[in-house]
Amino acid sequence: MTAEANPDTLSIGQEIKLARRRRRLTFARRLLTHPSFLVGFVILVLFTLTALLADVLAPYGPTKINYRSILAPPSAEFWFGTDAYGRDVLSRVIYGTRVSLRIGVFVVVMTGILGTLLGTLASYVKWLDGLIMRSLDGLMAFPGVLLAIALAAALGPSEVNAIIALTVTFTPRTARIVRASVIVVQGMQFIEAAHAVGASHARVIFRYILANALSPLIVQLTFVFAVSIVAEAILSFLGVGPPPPAPSLGNIIADGRSNIQEAWWIAVFPGLIIAVAVLGLNLMGDGLRDILDPRHSGARDKT
Amino acid sequence: MNIHRKLASGLRSLSAVGVIALAAAFSPAPAQAQVKGGELVVVQGSNPPSLDGMSTSSQASRNINMNIYETLYGFSEDIKPIPILAEGVDISEDGLTYVFTLRKGVLFHNGDEMNARDVKASLERYRRVGATKNLLAPVKDIEITGEYEVTFHMVEPTPTFLEAFSSPRAPAIIIPEEDGDTEAGKNSFIGTGPYKFVEYVPDDHVTIERFDDYSQDLRSDGIDGFGGKKTAWLDRVIFRIIPEPGAQVAALEAGEVDILEQIPMPAARRLESDPDIVLHENARWAFTTFIFNTNVPPSDNVKFREAVQVALNMEEIMAISSEGLYTLNHRWQYEGTTYDPGQIGAEYYNQADTERAKALLEEAGYNGEEFVILTDSNIPQHGRSAVVIAEQLKAIGINAVINQVDWPTALNIRMQDEGWNGWTLQMGIEPYLGPVGLIATLTSPARPHFVKPDPELDALYQELIKGETVEARQETFKKIQTRLYEIFAIIKVGDSGLMHASRASVKGFIPFRFPRVYDIWLED
Repeated sequence: MTAEANPDTLSIGQEIKLARRRRRLTFARRLLTHPSFLVGFVILVLFTLTALLADVLAPYGPTKINYRSILAPPSAEFWFGTDAYGRDVLSRVIYGTRVSLRIGVFVVVMTGILGTLLGTLASYVKWLDGLIMRSLDGLMAFPGVLLAIALAAALGPSEVNAIIALTVTFTPRTARIVRASVIVVQGMQFIEAAHAVGASHARVIFRYILANALSPLIVQLTFVFAVSIVAEAILSFLGVGPPPPAPSLGNIIADGRSNIQEAWWIAVFPGLIIAVAVLGLNLMGDGLRDILDPRHSGARDKT
Repeated sequence: MNIHRKLASGLRSLSAVGVIALAAAFSPAPAQAQVKGGELVVVQGSNPPSLDGMSTSSQASRNINMNIYETLYGFSEDIKPIPILAEGVDISEDGLTYVFTLRKGVLFHNGDEMNARDVKASLERYRRVGATKNLLAPVKDIEITGEYEVTFHMVEPTPTFLEAFSSPRAPAIIIPEEDGDTEAGKNSFIGTGPYKFVEYVPDDHVTIERFDDYSQDLRSDGIDGFGGKKTAWLDRVIFRIIPEPGAQVAALEAGEVDILEQIPMPAARRLESDPDIVLHENARWAFTTFIFNTNVPPSDNVKFREAVQVALNMEEIMAISSEGLYTLNHRWQYEGTTYDPGQIGAEYYNQADTERAKALLEEAGYNGEEFVILTDSNIPQHGRSAVVIAEQLKAIGINAVINQVDWPTALNIRMQDEGWNGWTLQMGIEPYLGPVGLIATLTSPARPHFVKPDPELDALYQELIKGETVEARQETFKKIQTRLYEIFAIIKVGDSGLMHASRASVKGFIPFRFPRVYDIWLED
């Protein structure tokens, strides 16, 4: 604030720092005033809090069996009803968000790291480009979820295997996006300038290229997060995700499918939660894209 | 308590429906004259592993095969051996020769008449590829002693032989001589039954059609167990494979299919008053069991297994796995049947005794090793009991994990000596067969379900099959029941029922060990 009051007294370094901070502030303000980002963000925060506070929030244990209350409809005692084992669906859904979140986060982190690594290598090291990208194209030839199902089935049903399967499935697309944006940045003059002043490859890559090529990656990763949640549910539903009695959202829906006519609540509530979570992540992704990628910006961002 | 009572009353009214359906089936009113023709669709959850009747003991195969093939002897409605393709049998005084005379004029689906050469070829093939080929172990050789007569020479007298020979578990079916040399599953699916094989599209359907030259057994007035006078009214029967129970029920409600081999109980309760649907209860369908692998730790330790036995709350497992259609029973026979062993072992049953279990675990020196429960996703009772058992075992500190795979994979894994500790199994046909059929699965020379043979149980099995009188065998069976509650290698969880459902247009359907698609007909 003092800096703003006396702009003349600033050194060049300080001025750059200040400009960066100002940009960051504007960025945050733009994010928080962007309606769809905000809605999505709030949903994601709620989802994360539910997952983290599952032990506090869930009224019962997620695998607590009670044969005296089998298939009980929603009531004051069981808000989301109970399943064929007399387990409380609400508690299972709450713990289910934890499984979804864990898988989502791991897949995003691993996909982010692998995608960035492969994408950057492909664009920065010319002779690796063909090798990496053609291999990834090969993986991309399989429809996404189908590849994940095949991998998970081959590796055996478990949470770790689900994470591996989804990472392998989503990495090629992420790598391709990173490669494309790295190529764009690489062609810019300031990169040439960085090389000219003798910056090391590492510095060029991390400090200049990646820093400027990350926005599409971030948008892509919110998408990966959303798709991971759905894909985890698909894998569990098909019996190749975390094995029963793990309360993953897909498992809960799978448990409910044979009684869908008699006990709709088992499948409907976790289904709704998945829908809302994915909607939230997509809204957030849209908002991020609007703000980070000027080419796609709408009129409201012209300021 | 309240919910339990509600469940019980629901069940009572359900069985009332079953009884009414039965009564209607047994006394055909004038309006119910049999109608020839039509196409019936029967739904089951999994593919038949084979349509070669003798080389598989799978229920999914039996459902279809018992309409295509027949045996020399089979069980009647009250589980006694009766002649089917045989005219009769003469057993010598010393029990060493069995002379089977064959019915004349019985045609195979290829038009040839069945004779003694076909019978010998079929049974010699059974010795090679039969899924329960040990049942012919007491037979030294099979001699053709006439165009319509075969003679079995026995190794030693085996009073229970005819019962074992009549077993439908992997039936000793009679097929044409030409198929005698074929490998398991490679015969031409030609039998003598009222329906003949048309086509099999795996994961979709099996079609059979009426065999117009079927030779009815005119010795009785109607069907009797696996035999009797069978009449095929329908032109064609399609066994459709629909794995998803919800989809099965929807197809039944929509009228796309006619009979469900099994309807989930919640759906049954919902459809109880639907005039288009008839429910058929098969109360004594199966034993729900939990089998240990006695070859690997921690389940190789008898104290550990005893801990599991006393820890389990059978009522909870049965209520959930059978969806409410069950009877608590510690016996390795149905209550009140010939070989009912009484109260032996009851003190270990349905204890849910956490303290005793924990003490036993400590005695066993259990230190948190993984206890892998093998189960499958195709037979819903299996998966459900595995989940409940795992939960109960976790409560006493056992590190129970579930390995849920598909049914063929589960069958594969359990044949391995390692890699699993417990296995949930519905024993359907074996308890129905009586003590011999059941104990054969737990003793040598076959591979016992619990992997490592128990010499004492093996000896008792030999005593059982050689017992001269029913009384002697009853005494032996009590010893077997006692032994089973000493080694705790297999746990009896309870008796579970099965609910079938049909469209109201299906007439004459009587619940049995397989859907008999003869002597039933369709009414508009």
